[in-house]
Amino acid sequence: MGSFFRELNRNKAMFLMIAPVLLFFIVFSYFPMVGVYYAFTRFSFDGGLFGSEFIGMKNFEFLFKSGALWNLTKNTVLYNLAFILIGNALQLVCAILLSELPGKWFRKTTQSVMFLPFFVSFVLVGAFVFNLFNSNNGVVNTVLAQLGLPEYDFYLHTEPWKYIITFFAVWKGLGYGTVIYLAAIMGISDEYHEAAKIDGANIFQRVRYIIVPMLVPTFILLILLSLGGILKGQFDLFYQIVGNNGMLFEATDIIDTYVYRSLAVNFDIGMGTAAGLYQSLFGFVLVLTVNYIIKKVREDYALF
Amino acid sequence: MRQDKMKYFSWFVAILMVAALLSGCAKSSNEPLEESPTTTSSDSAEGSEGKLDTSKKVELVWYLLGDANKDQKEVMAELNKMLEKDLNTTVKLNFTTWTDWQTKYNLLLASGEKIDMIFASTWSDYYKFANQGAFLPLGDLLPTYAPETWKNVPKQDWDEATVKGNILAVPATYPEYTPDGLVYREDWRNELGLPEIKDLDSIEAYLDGVKKAKNVTPINGKAYNEVFTLFKAYNDYQQIGGDSGVIAASSYDNPRDIIAYPFTPEFEAWVKRMKTWADKGFWNSDTLSSQVEAGDAIKVGTGAVYWRNAPGAGGYIVDMEKNNPEIKLGYFPFTRFHNYVMPNLSVNNAMAIPKNAANPERSLMVLDKLRNDPKYYDLLSYGIEGKHYSIAEDGKYIVTPPANLKDTKNFVPYGIASWGFRLESMERVKQASGWSGFDALLQEFKSESKPNIFAPVLLDYAPVKSQQAAVNAVIQQYGLPLMMGLVPDVDKAIETYRKQLEAAGVNDVLAYVKEQAYAYYDEKGMK
Repeated sequence: MGSFFRELNRNKAMFLMIAPVLLFFIVFSYFPMVGVYYAFTRFSFDGGLFGSEFIGMKNFEFLFKSGALWNLTKNTVLYNLAFILIGNALQLVCAILLSELPGKWFRKTTQSVMFLPFFVSFVLVGAFVFNLFNSNNGVVNTVLAQLGLPEYDFYLHTEPWKYIITFFAVWKGLGYGTVIYLAAIMGISDEYHEAAKIDGANIFQRVRYIIVPMLVPTFILLILLSLGGILKGQFDLFYQIVGNNGMLFEATDIIDTYVYRSLAVNFDIGMGTAAGLYQSLFGFVLVLTVNYIIKKVREDYALF
Repeated sequence: MRQDKMKYFSWFVAILMVAALLSGCAKSSNEPLEESPTTTSSDSAEGSEGKLDTSKKVELVWYLLGDANKDQKEVMAELNKMLEKDLNTTVKLNFTTWTDWQTKYNLLLASGEKIDMIFASTWSDYYKFANQGAFLPLGDLLPTYAPETWKNVPKQDWDEATVKGNILAVPATYPEYTPDGLVYREDWRNELGLPEIKDLDSIEAYLDGVKKAKNVTPINGKAYNEVFTLFKAYNDYQQIGGDSGVIAASSYDNPRDIIAYPFTPEFEAWVKRMKTWADKGFWNSDTLSSQVEAGDAIKVGTGAVYWRNAPGAGGYIVDMEKNNPEIKLGYFPFTRFHNYVMPNLSVNNAMAIPKNAANPERSLMVLDKLRNDPKYYDLLSYGIEGKHYSIAEDGKYIVTPPANLKDTKNFVPYGIASWGFRLESMERVKQASGWSGFDALLQEFKSESKPNIFAPVLLDYAPVKSQQAAVNAVIQQYGLPLMMGLVPDVDKAIETYRKQLEAAGVNDVLAYVKEQAYAYYDEKGMK
């Protein structure tokens, strides 16, 4: 304790600077965590948070009923893995390409255009998708018909949706992630490049032996950060694209959409919290595990 | 030293991450509910002459569903001017907007926000919330603070608003029939010489005729409501206590025969028929993902059929007569399948006071004024006279746009979801927006009206809520595609659906609904 105060005294300015952030998280993240208790109660307005009847794990039951949980968890994890891996890989490639582009004007423009989808809301994305793929006058089917090919009923088949959803998720995050990698690339000291050039390294060699290794820590950090949310599906993405179309659920149902569907008719705070708690705990354990593994392999890349 | 700092930093990052992770699970719960202020009638608010004490200035917060009007500010300013003079009160009127109103409404009540009055209704789970204790009991307050309303509202209406012995809402006094039905293009039916719509076969013939001759998708957009309400009405399945999922009474005359309809042969026959309908293209294969209202397609000539309840159909038809006079519409109420109709409960629209309202007494006083003083009623319901409407020559109904308005082109009509405090006697607009066909329809309904025995059954599903949640998910995943005839193999899909329902615990839900319904029937002495 004494050493803590000494530390506090020594780095007053530092702690002062970090105080607002700490306060923010305490108020908006730690304090509300008390609400996790809702997951174990039967909510009533008379009782409120602590006065409601304690019912143990009963709120979690609906996740296990009908055995949907395994399929949901699998879908959620696989989708997120695809988003994270494909997304990060593409962002990395784009960042490297952009950084090597000679013209400043062209680079800036490309970057902006890539960034645009990030600002498009999922409601709009949903509208795009519907207008692209619907059976009546969708773009894809109209083109197919023009080419004399048989039409394809996207909304009756589950297979294409895995790719459609992954595509739009990656497309939307591309610009944003690219900027992060680009910043990391800009941070690489020019000395490396100059030394390499003098030694006669061509551009591919420089990418392979300088840029990629230097980006690995950023890559791992971003992956680690996104792993925590691996059980949190992007609800808006899935809901806006698939909606309440039961035909497609087998391939597109994630925990969030399942919870929404189960509780939309009968709003229930307890069960909603239970589902959220399950997702968070899963993510928490996953981050700790992956971090532990990374620590064993390359200690300096680990988060903590 | 530097190493040290890095360590602190990484710890800090770790904490942030965990914080961000866990913050998601408590989104809706960051405010523990406070104890509601105790409110009893012995509040000694009555002054010496039996006049209520309004010496303290109060600002009330009210919530309505739906969207505010463009001129809401102006109307509220006007209203508050009057209220301030009469009751030393102002009202801040908030709206949920129609986007995601259900979620917002639920959160408003659950988060314990200080609200003095809020819209309540059976279709926004009045009974469930009442049962959970979300609303303040009004029995003791009403005679004192809303005497006129207390006197004027029929006893039957108060009874319907009573939960566990407490009156928890002030129902609107606006008896209504809102049976489901289909709006369809009558001009096409005449033109193509199709049979008059009076049963399921004639509906099928109409859809088929329109599809072939006009080459349009008859129900062009979301079609689930059309098909599902038709299914219920055709088989006379009556849902119990609001939306009861797959549980229904098998007919009005057999209220005790409560079933899970997917297990009946009628359901099997129905979905097989719907498969042929879907294959014939009566709706699109993407109907479950579509966000398009079938009614919008009719307006542009690419659709023919639209589900509406009777007053809603009136509004839709009148609107069409005004904007697309070349399109002639007809209406077929599903009541004609079994020749009876049930009136809505009084609490189909009502105003309630949430548990932790700061000023329930004053809120009731304002409501009493609103319901009984035409000045108030007209202002909040129809807007400002001369700007939004003018009184017709008969002195009763209103004219929009107002008669003396010159610039009718830019006229924006006024209207909000004022249903919670509507009175038939105070209304200045005819039901169903004055649709000419409605009077005859109303006569028909009145002559075949039967008491509503299903809606008042109180269900909150508390003992079976995990089963109910799982069943809901199954209905959406397997039931909807089946109902819309989209599955490739109907027999197999029925089997899967039934198996999934059973796994989800549909029998527990069924047993629960039965128990509650029987208890209600016994209480009312029904056999």
